[in-house]
Amino acid sequence: MIVTRSKSIEEILDQLDPIADLKICVVGCSLCAGKLKTGGEPEVKNMISQLQDNRMDVIDGVVLKHACSIESWESLIKEQPVISDAEVLLVMSCGIGVSLLGRICDKIVIPALDTVSLGAALNDEILLEMCSMCGQCTVGFFSGLCPKSGCPKSQLNGPCGGSNDGECEVRERKCIWTRIYEVMEAKNMLPVLNKILAPTEYNRGL
Amino acid sequence: MGLEEAIESGKFIVTAEICPPKGTDISVFLSEAALLQAIVDAVNVTDCPRAMVRMSPLVLSSKLIKMNIDTIMHLTCRDRNRIAIQSDLLAAHALGIRNILAMSGDFTTMGDHPYAKPVFDLDSVQMLQVINKMNRGFDLMDNPLEGATSLCAGAVVNPGARPLGFTRIKFQKKIAAGARFIQTQAVYDTDLFNEFMDEFKSVNIPVIAGIIPLRSAKSAGFMIENIPGVKIPQTTVNRMESASEPITEGLKIAAETIERIRENCQGVHIMPIGKHEHTKRLLEMCSLL
Ligand code: SF4
Ligand code: SF4
Repeated sequence: MIVTRSKSIEEILDQLDPIADLKICVVGCSLCAGKLKTGGEPEVKNMISQLQDNRMDVIDGVVLKHACSIESWESLIKEQPVISDAEVLLVMSCGIGVSLLGRICDKIVIPALDTVSLGAALNDEILLEMCSMCGQCTVGFFSGLCPKSGCPKSQLNGPCGGSNDGECEVRERKCIWTRIYEVMEAKNMLPVLNKILAPTEYNRGL
Repeated sequence: MGLEEAIESGKFIVTAEICPPKGTDISVFLSEAALLQAIVDAVNVTDCPRAMVRMSPLVLSSKLIKMNIDTIMHLTCRDRNRIAIQSDLLAAHALGIRNILAMSGDFTTMGDHPYAKPVFDLDSVQMLQVINKMNRGFDLMDNPLEGATSLCAGAVVNPGARPLGFTRIKFQKKIAAGARFIQTQAVYDTDLFNEFMDEFKSVNIPVIAGIIPLRSAKSAGFMIENIPGVKIPQTTVNRMESASEPITEGLKIAAETIERIRENCQGVHIMPIGKHEHTKRLLEMCSLL
């Protein structure tokens, strides 16, 4: 799941300022942003009324099934004809949906969300920083847990000096290395942790 | 005596730390260095500690070398990728700097530029490996260098961190990666420190224990709140609270700490809050001068 956060209305209006007289359609996404309540039906409705309060010309709002995977602009318009009347799309999806729309249509595309993390949904809990797409997956040395994303300092060879009593010095959560140690111990894999891992090979897959 | 000679000789090592200025005025930095010149083996120059923007330790370490003061330059992984790290190491060598303290660095959000991009391309273990490779005449990708470095790499360990499980593993990795000396996080709880050192009796590189003399009960509170991994026992906080002369009490506590751990370590590293006006007195109090 791609984790997004709502931008402040001030930041959104700031982006719309140079094009304030154009017709806007608000575009949500029912997948991650819908589940996270940053870009689903209610959020799109709420955004429309906020924009109208600020005297913006909003023609409508739509919620796409998945903004990150679209057949074609033509098929999209067929499903949501109202989009074609807009001059500006204010997109309430992750950055991928925004980028994709920016690429395939002739409308001005503006994001309403910040994309912050690759996360996971565990029942009702959203777990942040589960993968940072480093391009060389090394979690095999940690039985699946990822220190490159779970540790703010991307340590690959053990905890930093600030890890204390199991807690992370940066985020309000357990130090990922505490978790890794517990998991490896429980799975009789502790000796694997003695291996010094080399620097990540960034860019190798692109 | 410089750090490497001190390590070779097996003497009890004394180092102290100075923080570069936030701004271009280096007069205080230089007067602090002059104070330390005759009383320590080497002076540490920090690298934007607590992620606050300050002058580069590279240029100030080189100033110290010119004053004939041996220096330990801090180099963090926070602000540089592997290219910049190697570039700075080559520059350090060319400037006559011989000791590098390899560290991860405090996280960006702790400091005065919380929105800075955290780099952390390498971790401290990998940085130690790079230094050793460059000492052998190669860069990280095995390209030959025109002139190898001759750098003595050190690492940081927090002997107060618990549980010990991973601290133990990472300490061993740092030694395997070529650390020639260890400097520790500030020690207040000597039992925790001695317990840690008992674990590592067999380690044959010097462990230099960090000492931060407290100045007031408030400073103790600040450290507990703001310096990751520092543990100060309540009895120590109480002593500072009831002291009529807190500065002297802080020095006494520091001297007692040194007395209690000196059999178990190979040196001390003095990092005062503020300036070094009392460092000489502290070293005299525990007969290190
Ligand atoms: S190691 Fe890299 S690819 Fe694998 S989970 Fe972590 S960040 Fe993602
Ligand atoms: S405390 Fe643990 S998770 Fe947090 S920055 Fe340090 S090593 Fe990473």
